[in-house]
Amino acid sequence: MNRFNFPDLGIGVGLRTVHFKHILGSQPDVDWFEALSENYMDTGGRPRYVLEKVAERYPIVLHGVSLSIGGTDPLDFDYLRKLKALARSVNARWISDHLCWTGVSGRNVHDLLPMPYNAESLRHTAERVKIVSDFLETPLVVENPSSYVEFTTSTMTEWDFLAELAAESDCGLLLDVNNIYVSSFNHSFDPNVYVDAIPADRVVQVHLAGHQNHGTHIIDTHNDFVIDEVWSLYGRACARIGDVSTLMEWDADIPDFETVHAEARKAEAFRGSRESGVGGRSDGLDQREPTTDNRQPDEAEVAYAAV
Amino acid sequence: MPLSDAETGSRESGVGGRSKNLDLRPTIFSDPRPPTPDPRSEVVLGALQEWMQSVVTHHGDVYEAAEEASIGVETVILPSATLQPIQRVGIYHSMYMLRMIEALGVDYGALANILGEETFEELVRAYVLRFPSRSYTLNRLGDALPEFIATSKLLKGRVFLRDLASLELAMTQVFDEAETEPLPGDAVSSIAPEQIAGARIVPIPALRLVSADYDVNEAFQAWREERAIKPRRGKTWIAVHRRDYGVFRMTLTREAFAFLGFLIAGETIGSAITMFHRRFRRLPEQNELFTWFRDWSAAGLFAAIEVD
Ligand SMILES: [Fe+2]
Repeated sequence: MNRFNFPDLGIGVGLRTVHFKHILGSQPDVDWFEALSENYMDTGGRPRYVLEKVAERYPIVLHGVSLSIGGTDPLDFDYLRKLKALARSVNARWISDHLCWTGVSGRNVHDLLPMPYNAESLRHTAERVKIVSDFLETPLVVENPSSYVEFTTSTMTEWDFLAELAAESDCGLLLDVNNIYVSSFNHSFDPNVYVDAIPADRVVQVHLAGHQNHGTHIIDTHNDFVIDEVWSLYGRACARIGDVSTLMEWDADIPDFETVHAEARKAEAFRGSRESGVGGRSDGLDQREPTTDNRQPDEAEVAYAAV
Repeated sequence: MPLSDAETGSRESGVGGRSKNLDLRPTIFSDPRPPTPDPRSEVVLGALQEWMQSVVTHHGDVYEAAEEASIGVETVILPSATLQPIQRVGIYHSMYMLRMIEALGVDYGALANILGEETFEELVRAYVLRFPSRSYTLNRLGDALPEFIATSKLLKGRVFLRDLASLELAMTQVFDEAETEPLPGDAVSSIAPEQIAGARIVPIPALRLVSADYDVNEAFQAWREERAIKPRRGKTWIAVHRRDYGVFRMTLTREAFAFLGFLIAGETIGSAITMFHRRFRRLPEQNELFTWFRDWSAAGLFAAIEVD
């Protein structure tokens, strides 16, 4: 168990539009869902309706891509207010985003742009993580990104940076083992060293995904099955961290839900002897602690017309 | 006034930008220019981010971007075992435009189809240069595209293309609007006769009116049914609305469109009738009014009736 007492939700799948109908209709036996925050924040349409229906039955975690925690523009409190409201309405177990920046001078590039790893970035990012966690009234969970460049101004490794960031800002970590693999290939480091250096008690969640290897570099496409090397990194992470909420990301060329779920469930083989396992969802819900006092599933009680 | 099929398609914003099938070789790997290493620098975070954004979002190729930038690429980016600094930052540069094209292609599917891949890409490149995203969501990236098309010298048949884009924009807006329970179908007919003239109709938020010089409703339907899109001139009036989370397109007559427009603008039914008279030099017939209110109520266009 991590130091925040965020529970092990089991093995989850990223909530994607192409699976909406299947999920609402078949109510698959999946432990939990991760929803991309920005896809549900500014809509009162079908995506929001589906998310709230899903949240009535499954635990939800919100995963963002536009917080720009490392950005040098001021934090966007309009965004944060909407994020907080969404988190409350779906009783999000925690909120994560990436160690990255997404734009400056009021613009958004809509990419997870990399940070230089040095003292200036660390101070800057840690300060912002603290502000965000205070505002959201829950420790922000920060994910290691995949990246394609290294900066001349970096003075420390990404894993040291993350460990120091977590210690300084008291945030949680979302360890994406595919991202570790992608970056290790692109930047020629040993991914095992990375996994071994991460403070285990801060890891709240793990991501799995597929990628595209172009020979000279890997692009983090999330459009394929998880490769063996990434599974073995996952196994190594589990051995250090213990059983931890695990999620399969599949964002392009998305196959049917059962294929994605089956890929996610391969994680079972690397996890310890977890009694309830897949299917323990309903029982587990009652035992889970809310991430904050004020995250009651108020709006989840609203009745909606059938789809 | 036939209702078209519900448009319940997916509209997942390209947030996060995981572009698929990315082959960088033609653009990134073709330049044989050798690297010119610069000494390490003390570029501060803010300047580094400004620099990287300017390179990544540059409308030209990454070499042009680097040449125009204030800091040399090698000052900021290290080479990898296999790629030069410019090739590495070029990965982000390529993905930026792919993401913009993908996002706008989702919202403007019919427009992209009729323009063809190359022209649509050119349009997107020109558009995002002028209207780059300033929001945490990509959902509203295309809000200015119809007006941009109307003034763009790049395109032939601008009026039709603007009209088609206006319809698709209305559909994305309606898709995302707040959900409101519509009034029951008999609500309007149950207003007391003496209160009808002073009654105000509050529309559901998920309603937009689109008037066009071309039959874009048919053009859009053709695209949906994978038929060839043929621009056909002819004034068209459409109410785009959402019901049970599906987006619908309802064609209207000129008179119905005008009358509904008055109501949506907040006029009372009495003053909408007066304005209708001023516009068409006749009063709406009893039968017309009955049919309009019956169809609009049945389609769930009204959220409330305010009676003084
Ligand atoms: Fe991830």
